[in-house]
Amino acid sequence: MLEAFVFATILCGFLGIILKKNLVMKIVAMDVMSTGVIAYYVLIASREGLFTPIVSQVKNGGAYADPVPQAVILTAIVIGFSIQALMLVGVIKLARDNPTLESNEIEKNNTP
Amino acid sequence: MSTITIAWIGFPFFVGFLIFLLPKLDRYLTMLGAIASAGYALLLFAEKSPLKLQLLDNFGVTLELDDLTGYFVLTNALVTAAVLLYCWGTGKTAFFYAQTIIVHGSVNAAFACADFVSLYVALEVSGIAAFLLIAYPRSDRSIWVALRYLFISNTAMLFYLVGAVLAYQTSHTFAFAGLRGAPPEALALIFMGLLVKGGVFVSGLWLPLTHSESETPVSALLSGIVVKAGVYPLLRCALILPEVDPIVRIFGVGTALLGVFYAVFEKDTKRMLAFHTVSQLGFILAAPSVGGFYALTHGLVKSSLFLLAGNLPSRNFKDLQKKHIDTPMWIALVIASLSISGYPLLAGFGAKVLTVKNLLPWQAIAMNVAAVGTAISFAKFIFLRPGGQKDVKSGFWPGVVLLLGGLFAANSFYFEAYKALNIIKAIATIGIGWLGYFVVFRSSVLKLPRVLEEFEHLIGFMSLISMLIFWMAFS
Repeated sequence: MLEAFVFATILCGFLGIILKKNLVMKIVAMDVMSTGVIAYYVLIASREGLFTPIVSQVKNGGAYADPVPQAVILTAIVIGFSIQALMLVGVIKLARDNPTLESNEIEKNNTP
Repeated sequence: MSTITIAWIGFPFFVGFLIFLLPKLDRYLTMLGAIASAGYALLLFAEKSPLKLQLLDNFGVTLELDDLTGYFVLTNALVTAAVLLYCWGTGKTAFFYAQTIIVHGSVNAAFACADFVSLYVALEVSGIAAFLLIAYPRSDRSIWVALRYLFISNTAMLFYLVGAVLAYQTSHTFAFAGLRGAPPEALALIFMGLLVKGGVFVSGLWLPLTHSESETPVSALLSGIVVKAGVYPLLRCALILPEVDPIVRIFGVGTALLGVFYAVFEKDTKRMLAFHTVSQLGFILAAPSVGGFYALTHGLVKSSLFLLAGNLPSRNFKDLQKKHIDTPMWIALVIASLSISGYPLLAGFGAKVLTVKNLLPWQAIAMNVAAVGTAISFAKFIFLRPGGQKDVKSGFWPGVVLLLGGLFAANSFYFEAYKALNIIKAIATIGIGWLGYFVVFRSSVLKLPRVLEEFEHLIGFMSLISMLIFWMAFS
């Protein structure tokens, strides 16, 4: 059930990238997609248990979450965030000459 | 050796940050980084057995380096050095050189690693640094081209991440070998990401616009090495897992034909070279075990051609045919074009022979057609008229001479190619190509539509390609 929702998020983001005309909306859609991917990693990590994987005195039957995907996705979040920032800076620059930011208009103006 | 390897991976990044602190030394530091990589590649060739490293613990970073890596690293070092020489006197800021060495370092890291997560990080870093290089002129067009590049590669890498975690779910490791036994959807998503990043087949049609609209040295860098960072993991996967080898080979043949089909009809020099990159990546993929040598010759020849084409008086072949171009430049163009067409005495010949020898029977016809197409498209450069005069920048000749000298020297990797039969075959291929050029393509006015290169179509094709790979892996 949860998995279906996660995939729906990824798909929504992907369709948003294709169907939205505005460049900012496209970037937001990409963010939605990456949120879906991050959620999927967290979901996979919690397959075998929900407890934070820290060794302690408390007994919980060893149902720890898998720390590896969580650690991995942390890197991906940082990278995704920096790419997002870079893209928005590019959009700010483009917005001066293309105030509507419609991607097909920008594409038409800038392809030889 | 392990310590040297780790130091070698870290060094370009260290240098990159050092440049921001010591902007006066930018060019020297960048050159130091490139020379260090060249030295490391030679060390790697001297090493007998492949080097496997497992850093930290069980879930740490895995590195795998052998001869194949050596070729790619050497290509990276030579191309970076040549581009640097080309830019030496052009007054580029320290920022440009810092990004160049960071691209260099991230591509090196992509060549060294053998697990999906390190690869992801390396590819994303190379994507960001390439974005900054493309957008360096700060014009509207360059920003749009860079934005489009980053957008497409990042979307592809998101799919790749999903694929990586699916592979992890089955085998509990992110290493390339963990792909064995993974469900077909994992393979489909990972390969789709790499195909897009590497500019292969229809998913790689973002490449012509990006490479042709960038500045000359940046195009040389992108076409020479950055796309190879996406192709190398495909080769590595094909070598580790025999069951994905046919998929890689099929895409190799497909992209070789698609790229060359566009290239023969193209009227613009830089776009022709960019389409040709799409095609040559196919030759690298078509025979995974010997792809390294082909990647080396292609990297050298394509970056020198981009540097040359950037200094021709026009970008349109029709205009160029009416003009006389500078004689030394024409000679350099002919050497590079002959090498890529596979003419003996140049390294392109050895690479083609070696690749053809390692093809499977069903690939042979298609790859020979692609080789003829290569000869046709480069006849456009060879049959330009020499005799003109043009002043070029001071750094131009050192860069080009380094690359072309590399082409002659690289012959030594594979002397066995020089057999009468191979030589006759190579010359016949070129002859047929040139004949075709004069009879059909010289006067052709057909202009192929660019609809497939539009942004939305490129994104849409990602879903189609992943479905295609899914069914290939499924069957």
